This record gives sequence, C-alpha cells and structure tokens, in this order.
Amino acid sequence: MEQLLQQLTNGLAVGSIYALIALGYTMVYGVLRLINFAHGDLFTYGAYLGLTLLASLALQDRLGLAAGLLLLALMVMGLVAVLGAILERAAYRPLRESPRLSAVVSALGASIFLQNALMLVYGARYQVYPDVLPQTAVALGGLRIPIVRIAVFLVSVGMMAALYLFVQKTKVGTAIRAAAIDQDAARLMGIDVNRVVLLVFVLGPALGGAAGLLVGLYYGQISFTMGWVYGMKAFTAAILGGIGNIPGAMLGGLLLGVVEALGAAYLSHSWKDGIAFAVLILVLIFRPSGLLGERVAEKV
Amino acid sequence: MNGLLRNLGAAALALAVAGCTQDTVKIGLMAPLTGSWASEGQEMKRNVELLAAEQNEKGGLLGKKIEVLVEDDGGDPRTASLAAQRLATKGVVAVIGTYGSAVTEATQNIYDEARIVQVANGSTAVRLTEKGLEYFFRTCPRDDEQGRVGAAILEKAQAGKIAILHDNSAYAKGLADEIKALLDAKKASLVFFDALTPKEQDYSSILTKLKAAGPDVVFFTGYYPEAGLLLKQSRQMGWNVPFIGGDAINNPDLVKIAGKEAAAGFRFLSPPVPKDLDTAEAKAYVAAYQKKYGEPPSSIYGVLAGDGFRVVAKAIEGAKSTKADAIRDYLTGSLKDFPGFTGKISFNGKGDRVGELYRVYEVDANGGFVLQP
Repeated sequence: MEQLLQQLTNGLAVGSIYALIALGYTMVYGVLRLINFAHGDLFTYGAYLGLTLLASLALQDRLGLAAGLLLLALMVMGLVAVLGAILERAAYRPLRESPRLSAVVSALGASIFLQNALMLVYGARYQVYPDVLPQTAVALGGLRIPIVRIAVFLVSVGMMAALYLFVQKTKVGTAIRAAAIDQDAARLMGIDVNRVVLLVFVLGPALGGAAGLLVGLYYGQISFTMGWVYGMKAFTAAILGGIGNIPGAMLGGLLLGVVEALGAAYLSHSWKDGIAFAVLILVLIFRPSGLLGERVAEKV
Repeated sequence: MNGLLRNLGAAALALAVAGCTQDTVKIGLMAPLTGSWASEGQEMKRNVELLAAEQNEKGGLLGKKIEVLVEDDGGDPRTASLAAQRLATKGVVAVIGTYGSAVTEATQNIYDEARIVQVANGSTAVRLTEKGLEYFFRTCPRDDEQGRVGAAILEKAQAGKIAILHDNSAYAKGLADEIKALLDAKKASLVFFDALTPKEQDYSSILTKLKAAGPDVVFFTGYYPEAGLLLKQSRQMGWNVPFIGGDAINNPDLVKIAGKEAAAGFRFLSPPVPKDLDTAEAKAYVAAYQKKYGEPPSSIYGVLAGDGFRVVAKAIEGAKSTKADAIRDYLTGSLKDFPGFTGKISFNGKGDRVGELYRVYEVDANGGFVLQP
C-alpha cells in the first residue's frame, strides 16, 4: 500500500511534466492540424536557457529564492515563446498552403536544426544545474515526498489551469477556439487567423519552456537530446487524451505518468514504455479519438 | 564516339588507380562525436589527432604522413554502419574505435569484409572477440574480467542481499549477466535483477521498487548519466544504500550530476583513470595533452583510443607494411608488452588485450576518484 502511494506520487510528478509539454502539441494540432515535432526541442531550449540565466544572473542570490525563480521562469518562458514565434514564421507559415506532409517534414527538419544548434553552442556533454532548491522531503505516514516534487506538480497544474481559463473565458481564447473549428469561417467573422496561429506558437512553447526549466531545476541534469524522449511521451499523452483537446492533454499526461510508474513497479521496469504504449493502443481501439477527444466543436 | 568514351574510361581508371597509390597513410577514427557519448567521442578524437600530429613531426610512418579520417558514429549502431562503409571506401589501412559495444558490433563485419584492422577502445562486451574475426582487436578489457572483479568486491563487502540493475544495453546487460552467473554459482542472495530505461530523468519509480526489495548493496552496470541520477534521487528519497558501478560510470560528470554529497562513497570498477597512469610516458603524454587542449584528458576511453592508434602505428612500422594481414600478424605475433599509456599491451589470438586492467575506485567527499588498494 505504501509502495502504491509512493509510486502514485512518482507518477503524478512525471505526468505533470508530460502534460505541460503535451499542451504545446495539442494546441498547435488543434488550430493547424500539424504535429510540431520541434516542440520537444523547444522544451530543451527552456532547460538550457534556464541554466544559462541561472548561472549568469544569479537572480536567486539577489532577489531571494522565490522572487528570483519567478523572474527566471518568466524570462525563460518569454524567450522560448519568441523562439516559438520565429519557428512558426520561418518553418511553418511559408508552408501553410502546401500539402500537410511538407509541413511535417519541415517540423522534423526544424527539430534536427534546433537540436544540433544547441549541441554546437553548449557542447555535447550533459549540463548540470547548480543546486538551488531545498532537498528536503515531507514525511507523510510512511511516504517521503521531496518538497520540490510537490512544487513541480502544483506549478504545472497551476499553469495548465491558467491556460484552460484563458482559452475558455477570454475573447482571445474564443478566437483560438473559433480558428480551431473552422479557419475560413473564423476569418469571415473578422478573426485574424495568422495572429491566432502566432499566439498558439507563443503559448505552447512558453509552457514547454517552463517545463524544461522545471526539469532542469528538479532533476539537475540536462542534455541536448532530452527533448526527444519527453517530446515522444508528451505527444503520446496528447493522443491519449484526445489530440486537439486541452483538458485531454492534461489528463493524458497525468495518466501516462501514473501508468508508467505503476507498470514499472508491479510488472517490470524494462517494460515500462511497452506498458504505457499498450495502454495507448487499448484506449485508441475503444476510443479512436482519445479519452476526451469527442466533442469536436470544442476542439482547441 | 565509341573511341572517345573508351579513352575517357581509361583516363578515369588511371585517375582511380592514381588515387589508390597514396602518399599518406590513412588511419580511420570512428567515434561518437555526437549523441549521448559525445564527450567520450570528442576526447577520442583529441587523443588520436594529438598522437598523429606527434608522429607526423617525427616523420610519419614509412616515410609518409599520417592522415586521420574521422567519422561520427553518433553512438548509434545504424549511423555507425554507414560511417564504417564510408571509411572502408576511403582506403583507410586501420580503424580506431569505437566506444559502445553495440555500436562496434554493427561495424565489425563491414571492416572484416573490407580487410581493415579495427582496434576498438571501449567495447567490452565478451562476444565481440568470440566470433573468430581476423582483423578485430581491442585495447580495453572484457566484461568477463570486469564481472569477476565486480563479484569479488561484492563478496568482499559481505553484502547479504544484493540487487543488480542494468539498462538493457549490450554492455550493461552483458556485465549484469556475468555478475549474476558468478553470484548464482556462489549461492549469494540476489533480491533484485531488472533494467531501467536509459536517457530518462526520473528514476524514482524503480528506486521505490528497489527499496522495497531491501538490498544491502545495489550494483548498477549502466552508464554515468543514469548512475548520477540514481544516486541523487535515492538520497532525495532518504535511502542511503551503497551503490557500486561498472566502468561506464567512470566519468567526472558523475559527481556533477549526483552532487558531491550523494556521490561520496560510491564505488566503481574501471581501468585506471588518466591521472592514475603512473608510467613516465603516460605522465608526459597527459602533460602534452593539457598543453594542447588546456585541460587534462578526463576519459580513459579517449586514452585507450590513443593506445589503439599507437599500437597500429607501431605495427605498421614494425611490419613495414600497411597491409591488413601484416598489421594483424604483427599485433598478434610480434607485439609483446608494448608500453602503452594504460599499461603494457599485448594481444592474444582473439584480439583481446592480455592482462588484468580493472581497479576499484571510490568517490571521496570532494568528488575525487580515489584508487582503492
């Protein structure tokens, strides 16, 4: 029982990171029907930019830990958002009217470009974050949960909730949803679809960049290839929840994290990914559009 | 028209022949310059290029300059087989590399068919030299030796319950199986044997599972990035079980990843690290390396690639030929106790290096790797 609960917390922490990245995939797909394969690399850029700013500005020493990290997070999110916008302009907008396959190839190319650019700048070694977060853990019954792990979970869920409210409750959010349903109709209603697409490419990468920073701060070790594994998992999470659907991405991410942790605990750790993908296949057999992917009219 | 074509054909043939009569001795280096083992690969390149430059200053080989052709294997078997095919068509007389066992294995037959001598520097999987390939050598030891040393320290530590963790790579699984077989033979109590998924960052689920098995010691046979995270995350969980690791953990970045506190007390098996190479030659070499690159070599596998280059150079000089058969005959027959940087080098008939190379290291409180007596 104790092990089960411990594994659940393990799974939720990893799952919240998956979910945060999955949002970027799902929003872009919702509006453009495009899988942005470079999204995992934007996540990696978040981790590297975070490391650079953390080491060079040392904000946590000047402003205190909380304010320093908050400012750091805002800077990282802003920078990765700019990168996302540039990516959209350079790699996707010129191909908007082309066959969808061209855009997918362009996405793969952008991914390889971003990854190798990072390697050339930072070198191929693993990079390590300085230890700034407290390493203490909360003892809860027999459980030991590191505080940082709880913080990672809460921050992720908070950002997801904020995004959900933004898309559901604001005018701009309504425009995003409208563009996701029918771009031409949205254009006729006076919505600037190009700006909506740009906004999607700003929001998704900002969250992905924040996830990169969280991973760097918590696990400490980052590599220029890490976007591949996380991107793959997040993409799976997006499909599991129903691609194009924001709550679906959150649910899919958390579920994938928990399934992985439990699979690793009670079956075999080497079969962890196999179990996760078997669950995905089962879900897709019974619900081809994913867990929450049915209400087409609300797709974003 | 036909005559013109024939003339052109003849001219092309003449050019091709002229291209083959080389005025340089081409030696290939296949290394993971990118990918997860890129730090090892970059050091391999530095070592071999430095040694080639030194040899060229002394007049090269057989009166010709040495040209090092570097190909990136990406630490990936598929990329490596393409790299091997490229090197084979460029007329190299021998190839140094590569690091990972699975990666080397993907290229062995390509070099063998092209009759090119291959000297691997980090591929310790046993089966690589059990295939009867004529032109394959390695300067690193084998996992059965590592397994013996590993089982010996487990025995010496008098650990009651033992856990073995690998990562399903050819190397890590091979080593884990070696140790398991030795422990089973001694009827030691093995409470856990499983693999983790490499290149992830969260190992809390496998650590939770390990902890529940209640081992007195955990032997992890994988690579340093995962080892560093395992150490760090087990301390975060408040679990202070001793960890022991294999030679793929020998990398200074281990301490950076784990943090000094979590890494202290960790023990691993390894050929001696560059700073513990005690011959005068090795010390001079480390100094020369530091002078050229501004830092001493940190990876023993880079130095082992350097040793691979030196035995090939020695064999070409000694055999006065760049023919693969001559180099092979020299390496297996005439090369005895060559003073390599990593100790004396001789090869047996299989292409394996003769002699014991493994030592036990412990990480001290400052993150230094201390050779254990």
